[in-house]
Order: sequence, then C-alpha cells, then structure tokens
Amino acid sequence: MADLRPILLVEDNPRDLELTLTALAKCQLANDIVVARDGAEALDFLYLRGEHAERAPGGPAVVLLDLKLPKIDGLEVLETIKKDARQRQIPVVMLTSSREERDLVRSYELGVNAFVVKPVDFNAFFEAIQDLGMFWAILNEPPPGSRSNHG
Amino acid sequence: MAHLVNDSHAESLPLDLDACAAQPIRIPGAIQPHGALLVVDPRSLKRLHASANLRAITGFDLPDGASLAEVAEAGALVGDLRHWLAAEDPIFLRTAQIGGAALQVFGHLTPQGLFIEFEDPPRSEHETLEALYPRLRAFLSAIGGAGDVAAIAESAVREVRALTGFNRTLLYQFDDAGVGTVIAEDGDGVLPSYRGLSFPASDIPAQARELYRLNRLRLIVSADYAPCPVEPASSPLDGQPLDLSMAALRSVSPVHLQYMRNMGTGSSMSISILVEGRLWGLISGHSPAPRRVNAQVRTACDILGQILSLQIEAREQADRTADRLALKQVETELLARLALAPVFQRGLVENETTWLALARASGAAVYTRDGVRTAGLTPSAEAIADLAERFGHQEVIAIDSLAERWPETAAYAEVASGVLAISISQIRPDYIMWFRPEVVRTIDWGGEPAKRTAAPDRLSPRTSFEAWREQVRLRSLPWRPAEVEAARGFRNAIQDLVLKRAEERAELTGQLEAINRELESFSYSISHDLRAPFRHIVGFAELLSERERGLDATSRHYLESITDAALSAGRLVDDLLGFSQLGRANLNRGRVDLAKLVGEVRRAVEPDLDGRTVVWNVGPLPQAFGDAAMLRQVFQNLISNAVKYTAPRERAEITITGEELDDVVTCTVADNGVGFDMAYVGKLFGVFQRLHRVEDFEGTGIGLALVKRIVDRHGGTIEAHGVVGEGARFTLSLPKRERALTNAS
Repeated sequence: MADLRPILLVEDNPRDLELTLTALAKCQLANDIVVARDGAEALDFLYLRGEHAERAPGGPAVVLLDLKLPKIDGLEVLETIKKDARQRQIPVVMLTSSREERDLVRSYELGVNAFVVKPVDFNAFFEAIQDLGMFWAILNEPPPGSRSNHG
Repeated sequence: MAHLVNDSHAESLPLDLDACAAQPIRIPGAIQPHGALLVVDPRSLKRLHASANLRAITGFDLPDGASLAEVAEAGALVGDLRHWLAAEDPIFLRTAQIGGAALQVFGHLTPQGLFIEFEDPPRSEHETLEALYPRLRAFLSAIGGAGDVAAIAESAVREVRALTGFNRTLLYQFDDAGVGTVIAEDGDGVLPSYRGLSFPASDIPAQARELYRLNRLRLIVSADYAPCPVEPASSPLDGQPLDLSMAALRSVSPVHLQYMRNMGTGSSMSISILVEGRLWGLISGHSPAPRRVNAQVRTACDILGQILSLQIEAREQADRTADRLALKQVETELLARLALAPVFQRGLVENETTWLALARASGAAVYTRDGVRTAGLTPSAEAIADLAERFGHQEVIAIDSLAERWPETAAYAEVASGVLAISISQIRPDYIMWFRPEVVRTIDWGGEPAKRTAAPDRLSPRTSFEAWREQVRLRSLPWRPAEVEAARGFRNAIQDLVLKRAEERAELTGQLEAINRELESFSYSISHDLRAPFRHIVGFAELLSERERGLDATSRHYLESITDAALSAGRLVDDLLGFSQLGRANLNRGRVDLAKLVGEVRRAVEPDLDGRTVVWNVGPLPQAFGDAAMLRQVFQNLISNAVKYTAPRERAEITITGEELDDVVTCTVADNGVGFDMAYVGKLFGVFQRLHRVEDFEGTGIGLALVKRIVDRHGGTIEAHGVVGEGARFTLSLPKRERALTNAS
C-alpha cells in the first residue's frame, strides 16, 4: 500500500542534490520531496520548528540522510531520531559517499535502517535512488498508525 | 669444602670435634692454677666466688660473706678498685702491694660481679707496659710503611715473639670456610716450622671462634696443669653458672689441652685479629715447655693485635676500593658501547674483550628469550640454559665450584668451574654469566684433616700433625668482593638500559599510532570528498547525453570519454581506499569453506559472462583458516581476472583446484586466457602494475596487489605462472594453524 508521506532528503552538496532529485523525479513517485540542506534544518522539519513550524503534522515516509553535513552532521541527526520514542520508528537510510567501516559500525549502532554508498557510476546511482524510493515509498509497509494526515 | 682426592674419609670430618664444639668453654667452673680469682659484689666488695688457691697466691683469705674492704693487706688495692669503679673504665690493670708482696691485679666487671685476678708481677722493669710502649710505637710506624699484608704479618710475628719469648710464633689467616693457613712465622727452630700449612676449620670449633671475638687474648701457661676449681659454681646473683669468658685465667677444655700435647706444645698464647667485626685470623705463640706471660706483656700484645687488625682492615678496604674503581671503569666503557647497540645482547658479543674484563673471566654468555649468545670459553648452549634454570631467579650468584653444588656440572669444569651470574629479567630466568676455568690448587695440611681417631665414638682431637698434601680440583679462582659488586652494579645499569629501550619502543609505538591515525583520517577524507566530484561528472554527463538526442557521433564520443574518465577515476579511488583499508583492518580469523566461497564468487561473476562459453572445472576444495571476507576478495579478483583475460577465447576454461597438506592449504586458479610474459612476473603483484594495454583489458592494475597483500597478512604465499597465448595459473598457499597467522599479522 503506498505511503504518501513526504520523503525527507538531507543533502548539503548542490550537485549531489540535483542528481538525487533528478533520479527521484524519474521514479514518478507521488510523494512530496522535502529538502534539508543541513542537520539542523532536518531536525527543524522533524520537530516542526523554525521554517517548518507551520507544516502539516506527521513524520516522513523515509529520511535519506547524508553523513557529512554542516551544523549538525548525519550521525547526530540519526542519533536524535532513534533516541526519541516518538521519532524512532521513522525509517532512516544513510546515503553517503563513504564506506568507512567506523561510519558503518556507528550508524548501525545508532539504529539506522539501511546504509547505501553512492556509486560513482551514474546509472548505478540512479538505480540505487530509484530502488530506495520505490522500496520505502511503495513496497514497504509503514508502521501502523503512522499513515499521512493522522495526528 | 674442597673436593677431597681420597673421598672415603670425607664423612668423618664433622665427627672429630663436634663434641668439642658442644663443650661449655665459657663456664668451666675452674681456672688455670698460675693465678687466683676472686669475684666480689661491686658495691659491698663482699665475696661471691673464689678459686681454691686464693690464699696460696695472695696470702689472704676471704670467707663467704666477708668484704674485701675488711682485709687489711688489701687496703691499697681496695682504694684503687673503688677509684676505678667510679671511673667506669673497662679494664683494671695494676701492680698492687698485698701484705708486702707485689701482685699483678687484673679486673673486669660483669653482671655476675667484679672479677679480680691475681698473678705474678712482671719479673723486671722491661716487662712493664711503660717499658714496652716504645716498642709498640716502633711497630706501629714500621707496619705503616710496610708493603702488603704478608709483610706486616711477618713484622707482627717477629714482634710478638720478641715480646713474649715463645719459641715459635705464627700468623694464621682464615678463609670463608674457616680453614686457617699460616702466612707468617718466626721461630728459633726448636719447634717444627708450620709455614704455608693449612689447618681445618674443625681445629677451632665455632664456639671457640665466637669467644675469640669477644675476648681477644688467651694464654695457656702449661698444657699439663691441674685445673683449680672456683667455688661456688653458680652465681648467687643470677643463679647461672659463673661465666669466665673475660677472665684471663679461664680454664680451657681438656680436648684443647690434649690437642696441644698432640702437637708437642707445652704452652700457647693466641691473639685475635678482628677485621670488620669478624675473626680474620690469629697470632699464636708456642713453646714446648710451660711459659708465663705477665698481664702487662699480654696487654701489649693485645694492643699490637688491634694495631695489626686496623692496618689489615684499612689495606683490604683500600684494595677493594682500587679493585672496584678499576672494574667501574670497565663497566662504564661497556655500558657506553651497549647504549649504542640496537639490542644489548649484540652489544655484549661485539665488545667481547670489555665484557670479559668486567668480571676478569675467560668466558661469558647472555641467556634470554632470544637464545644464548656467548664469548670466549663457555659451556654448551644447553648447559648454559640448564644453569639459568638452576639459578632460580636469584639476582646475583657467585660460585667458585659449580661441581661442588651440582656434581653433574663437573663435565665442563675445565672450561667453567666458577660462574658469576646476574639476572636481567623480573619474569624470566634471563641471565648474563661469566665463567672461570678450573685452577688446580695444592693445600698442605698440617696433618691429614680427616684421619680417623682410634676410638671414633670417644672425644679425641687430632694426633697427626705431619704435613699432608692435597690437590683441590673443580674449583676456579674465587670471585673477589669487588668483582661481585661490579656485577651487581652492572645488573642495575642493564636493567635501566632495558627500561630505557622499552620506553623508547613505547614512544615509537606511540608515534606510529599517531601516524596511523593521521592516515586513517586522510583516507576518510578521500573517501568522502574525492568520490563525490567524480560522481557528479558522470551524473551530469549522462543527463546531458539523455537530453541532447541530436548530438553527432563525435560529440557523443566526447561525452562518453568524459564519463569513462570519471568512472575510471572513481574506481581508482575505490581501489586505493580498499587497499589502504586492508592494511589497517583487523583480521577476523575463522574456518573458511573455500568450496562455498568459490561458489559464491562464481555466482557473482555469472552476469558478466553474458552469453560466453565458460567451462568451470572446480575440484574439491579444502577448508582454510583466515578472514572470510578478505579471502572472498582474493578469489573475486583471481576469478574475475580469469574471466576477463579469457574473453578472447571462444571456449574459456577456468580450473580451480585445492589441496590440504601438512602445514598449509593450497589453491590454484588456472585459465586458458591470453596469459602473460614470465619475464615480467616480478611486476605482476605491484600496485598499479599492468602487463596489458588498457584498451585491451580494462582494470586499474590493483587487483593482484590486493590479493598479495591479503595473502601476506595471512602469512601465506602466492605464485604466478603464465605462457603468452596459452593461459595463466595462480597458486596461493595459506598456513593451516592459527599460530602461523598470529606471527604474520
């Protein structure tokens, strides 16, 4: 059953952002894509703060999170989400350039749902984004009581 | 004790005079009869004890309970005694007039009372201390300038003979075992010469030696005397037997008198030589006939003995210090050299002369976890290791005769009879040892020391004093105190050196760790920041290519080149990162099923086969031991290489076989591809080394370098064999046991 909540994309690099958005557009998903340019903005969205204070309530279908972010980095955002009882059910996919073992280990320790390394090969990259989008927005069953437009 | 040439008597040695040793020599209950003894209470001067001959010698009686003060003849003496008691001098020595006769009076104080001994006075003026004093002064200056201990010993025995008139005077020096050797002698020929002879320790039993330390002089006027009893035997003051230790007239043990008679001596006197509190030796005077030596002459001899003792003490200390200084210089030099050596064992071996000189040894060895290194003449390596175990963690060991302690070591006594060893580790039996060879010595005994007496169960002193020569074997030159001290000092220095090395190593390790951390953060940066731009180049080039359908062939070609270049760069970064990570990552060791692994890799490469004809010959493969992920990488690379380089073949054949041997597991990946020129086999495993053109076969050239690195970390080997146009074969071998892995990584 399709999950029509927004997809939160947290990415600071403009070119990566453009490529990722283009790839997602090709999926022709019905979901809105919300972009946060750093960790602070991402948390603002999740906690309905700052510029997102007036948004419609409800968590995103999935968070596509980059590791290296200005202000608050990806691991911190992940930790915040996963330690909060009300937010921790939100699926988080680490989408990053690095295959460094310690990032991997730390992310899983904090409870990340998936860890995807962005391939250099464009086609592979596109496929990866599309697969992710399709999986989390369409294929995956969201946690009960979290469907859009509910409290 | 020396290893006796004739062994059968060895056990009887302690039997001879052990019983004498048990006799109570301090409480004989009697005195020699040439004088009289009176013991009074120091305050009341009331009689406590008296010898039976008191009246005969002194002319007065003192009944029990009466005070000496009541004796008219002793009036002057009493006054002197009271004066002396108030002054608290240790010794009272005076010629007193008692009832018109002059008597030599000798007094001392003990908890059991005031002991007063009466003897004949000096026969002439020449025998008074006053008259003898100039001689003592002359003696003092004479030996002050004299050469070594032997020279001053000769002076001493001559002087004592001149003072006392004995027919023969001797000076004995005792060794560590208590054996006394005559190092100086003066005599008129009446008695036989004992110069150079040795006398067993048992000739002077332990309790006598102890008494000789307390009371420095003893005289036996006649070996045939009848002891004169002292009444009562026990002290009224403390109930204990009367202790005559400090009494000049003390009666000696009958065993000792028999010994004298056996030796042909009618009278004897001996003076103790005390050096640093221990009995270093004795000066003895003997005559065949009875002889008196009056108290003043005896006192002069005692003073002479003390002068001699101090001189010997000073000389020995000076010798030790000079010795120590010389050895210290050697030690300093050796340490300086060792500080430069990377490993101190090598430093020792490379400075053999100095190392040996430190202990004046003919051989040396250092035994550590790394094995045995030696210099000069030493026992075998096994013998050295065996010795180290026997030493049992003692810090400093100095042994003159190894065979005496451990008879098995007699086998190499010629090379090493003596050993000086220092421990250099707190936890292991690591030692530096110095060896000395056997030096055969001859001892001339004054009579066979272990000659059985006629009735072995009855107390009997030696009867034979005829010289008996003995050869002492299995013994080296003894280690001097300065040499042992030098070794001890060296041990401290070595430990400091080892400690310093450990600190340096720790610091080096710290530096290496810091560099490693830098490297890690460096590759972390590359990982993130370098891959992204390549990804962007490829991405936007693709997007452009999709948008611009109308591009001509050349433009398309340009775009493709841009994409390919960026892709290559990206792959290069990935490969480099992988290679670097491999050096740093930990090995996760475990059993690896190679058959399963190869199966997985085959399935992974299936999609790339894409319609090609590939024949797989996969034999049974053994279990290996190592990191499964890394080994998968190895087979991934080898198999994908095989697939890649067989691409030109219509029918590619890839053969994978394996074998389990005693120590290793081997595996071979062979193909019938384009092969390679064996002339370049050395470059095959180099980083970024390629033997084919990029346009013919793509790849970064890092695949085999990765394989080699993984195999190296497992402690294994990889070999390559190729024939151009026919194919290539790669054989890797991995150690089976975990131990090999531990050593490698």
